[in-house]
Amino acid sequence: MDFSLSEDQEMFRGTLRKYLNHVGGTDVAREFIKGNTTLVDEVSTGLAELGSTAIPVSEEYDGLGLGPLDLVPFFEESGRVLVPGVQAETLALAVPLLEKYGTEEQKKKYLPGIASGSITVTLAWLEAGKSYGPDEITCLARQEGDDLILDGVKMLVPHGDVYLVLAKTAEGIGGEGLSLILVDQTEGITTRRLNVLDETQYVVELTMDQVKVPKSQVLGAVGQGWDVLQEGLLSFNAALSAMMVGAMDEIVSMAAEYSKIRIQFNQPIGRFQAIKHRIVNMKLDLETARSLSYYANWAVENQTADREAAVYSARSFTTEAFARLAADNIQIHGGIGFTEEIDCHLFLKRARYYQNYLGSVRKSRERIAEGLDWSAKKSERDVVSIG
Amino acid sequence: MNFTFTKQEEAFRLELRSWLEENLPDGWKAGNRELPRDKGEYSKFLRQWQRTLYEGGWAAISWPKAYGGREATLMEEIIYHQEMVRIQSPPLVNYVGIHMVAPTLMQMGTEEQKRNFIEKILTGEHVWSQGYSEPNAGSDLTAIETTAVKDGGKWVINGQKVWTSFAHVSDFCFLLAKTGQSEKKHEGITVFLLDMNQPGVETRPIIQMDGKQEFNEVYLTDAIAYDSDVVGEVGKGWAVLIALMLHERSGIAAQVFTLERQFDDLVEMAKQVKIDGVPLVEDPIVRNKMAGLYARIRGALLTYYRNITHTLKNGRPGPESSLDKLLVSELTKELFEFAIAIQDHHGVMTEEDAISNKSWQEGYLSSFGVTIGGGTSEVQRNTIGERILGLPKDLGR
Ligand SMILES: Cc1cc2nc3c(=O)[nH]c(=O)nc-3n(C[C@H](O)[C@H](O)[C@H](O)COP(=O)(O)OP(=O)(O)OC[C@H]3O[C@@H](n4cnc5c(N)ncnc54)[C@H](O)[C@@H]3O)c2cc1C
Repeated sequence: MDFSLSEDQEMFRGTLRKYLNHVGGTDVAREFIKGNTTLVDEVSTGLAELGSTAIPVSEEYDGLGLGPLDLVPFFEESGRVLVPGVQAETLALAVPLLEKYGTEEQKKKYLPGIASGSITVTLAWLEAGKSYGPDEITCLARQEGDDLILDGVKMLVPHGDVYLVLAKTAEGIGGEGLSLILVDQTEGITTRRLNVLDETQYVVELTMDQVKVPKSQVLGAVGQGWDVLQEGLLSFNAALSAMMVGAMDEIVSMAAEYSKIRIQFNQPIGRFQAIKHRIVNMKLDLETARSLSYYANWAVENQTADREAAVYSARSFTTEAFARLAADNIQIHGGIGFTEEIDCHLFLKRARYYQNYLGSVRKSRERIAEGLDWSAKKSERDVVSIG
Repeated sequence: MNFTFTKQEEAFRLELRSWLEENLPDGWKAGNRELPRDKGEYSKFLRQWQRTLYEGGWAAISWPKAYGGREATLMEEIIYHQEMVRIQSPPLVNYVGIHMVAPTLMQMGTEEQKRNFIEKILTGEHVWSQGYSEPNAGSDLTAIETTAVKDGGKWVINGQKVWTSFAHVSDFCFLLAKTGQSEKKHEGITVFLLDMNQPGVETRPIIQMDGKQEFNEVYLTDAIAYDSDVVGEVGKGWAVLIALMLHERSGIAAQVFTLERQFDDLVEMAKQVKIDGVPLVEDPIVRNKMAGLYARIRGALLTYYRNITHTLKNGRPGPESSLDKLLVSELTKELFEFAIAIQDHHGVMTEEDAISNKSWQEGYLSSFGVTIGGGTSEVQRNTIGERILGLPKDLGR
């Protein structure tokens, strides 16, 4: 048995960490918040040059042909310093789906660009006043000869070069009749930047007015978009968990370091058990989250039977723990924790952003229960009835 | 990453499994796993089980071959615990002797001690207990007050031990006593191999909150030990204690796998029990909370695997085992709390009036011991904070 990242994977982590520290760590996010995108563009290029964006793309399309576990160091390290961007959506959602369901034409069009870092892809799913449920989609893709004509408004869409749009191509319930369509920036698309709590995100409202795309832009079979999306979400949520673990790791170091140097009542505050035990509880959450995240990525990479429960265990636990740690970190820092100056708040806002992003904790837990076949019918023994 | 077992490991598992099929006590496999209630019968039954394990070569698998062990690898020890939990084997009455005392004697005992004790621990002839805690010294063992005074060739021991598990069935006790005063708190403590069958030793059972009588008070009134019963050096007992703790390298495994099995039982109970016509497992709130608990228990199990990997690579365990102990004992407590909470008002009924399985109520009560015994959760948190995170030490320690 060996439950650890490989030496190569750890070495790559080392390289990434050195690079990200060198460019200023969370300064990249801070510059972005100020509206200065030069640094983040430079870092995106830098990360691509280190090979990050090529990791999951197959060799045929100029990638490295590696798997989800090889992306773990990348996501942990970018999560640690809150790099703005849509790497998880591109590399852990769009790439696996393109690799598996993409036509030759689609792969040629997108994969080499993704590998080199010049194309990003995001997901346009949620609609105004709606939820992430399968029956909530009103965005319409009407067939017209060999084309689809898209109409609708999507909310909370991370800004990207290409949008994977979930739209209705036929009537149906429970996700039937939905298709995933690759939509490039084109005529008929307008975006309005949304104000969100996590200012490291560039999130838009996407309006599609008679947008014409060829039918060949559908990813996977027409009408099968919901199922395709569910599969993509497995790798995406595993990646997102890794990103949150990276952020949590940084939070625990911040809290521990601060508690060693901050003196009150003639002693470092880390000597007070109210503080010490809180940080230890944070550490327990961190290690639990990390174990779940590694296993989730392993399960996706190896397509194991328990991957649904594995991924949603990681996603649900980590989502909650990240928010809890970020909040505790502010308390441990005292007054300075409440200021803009220290990074505490950046992590808290990021945690809140992810909390209900592309699915809630409640829904994740339901997926665990489904993944484990929890139903009374599955019990072989007699049912005991009371009450 | 690799979660498969090697061919040898799988062969080891099969060998053990088929041996257990053949040799488990009567009724055990069929699910009738009641231990005798009578103290004498209870002790006889468990000693007999250890004897059976010994005769099959399964009593102390990690020991060197020279002492009758198999020199099992760490992975084999883990498989051993997995299988014992899977089959719900009777408890090992001599856990302390096998996993702690004997390995310590092999490392630092005299030739005479090795000759006198090690084989008898293996056969189950000598059952051992640990005498550390006292009324005024629990978390802080440097505060013990039991004294051992040299009188000619003898040591005369006086004092009181408490919470001594299995003392009522044990023949010997790994005893901590003060043999000197020192400025340094950890000095002046000595470890004795105390014969429990002597007039100066009186054992009184303490009834636990779960109704069981597994731990005891031990009164020492002019109890006698000899120089030949001292482990290591006089006054240097603390070092012996540390060495002993390091020997328990796979100790947490049994608890991790037990927790995993208890969760499976919980799911089975939730499938079977209906409240107001709805099976618990299909009640959205129960489902949601149970999935949350599942994720955390999986997380604890996987964290254990990560720590084991670390031990395999480094050849010795690190302070991370405190993480495992803390996670597993706290989760055990939560699991039972949850199990009886979802039974609504039926959760208070016990014995044959309890629903589905009275073991939930029993387990609930006994779970309060796991976050105390073997070092409280608070003390574990201190250890993790100081040894893993490098936070400043508590004053006075
Ligand atoms: C089931 C069971 C089996 C046991 N078996 C044995 C045995 O075989 N042999 C044996 O010698 N002992 C045994 N014990 C005793 C056990 O090791 C002690 O109970 C334990 O170490 C706590 O000591 P205490 O009971 O004196 O509590 P105390 O040390 O008095 O603790 C009381 C409370 O204060 C807290 N506390 C104490 N110190 C600190 C600190 N520094 N920081 C923060 N909080 C602190 C504790 O966490 C606890 O909540 C057993 C106990 C149990 C429950």
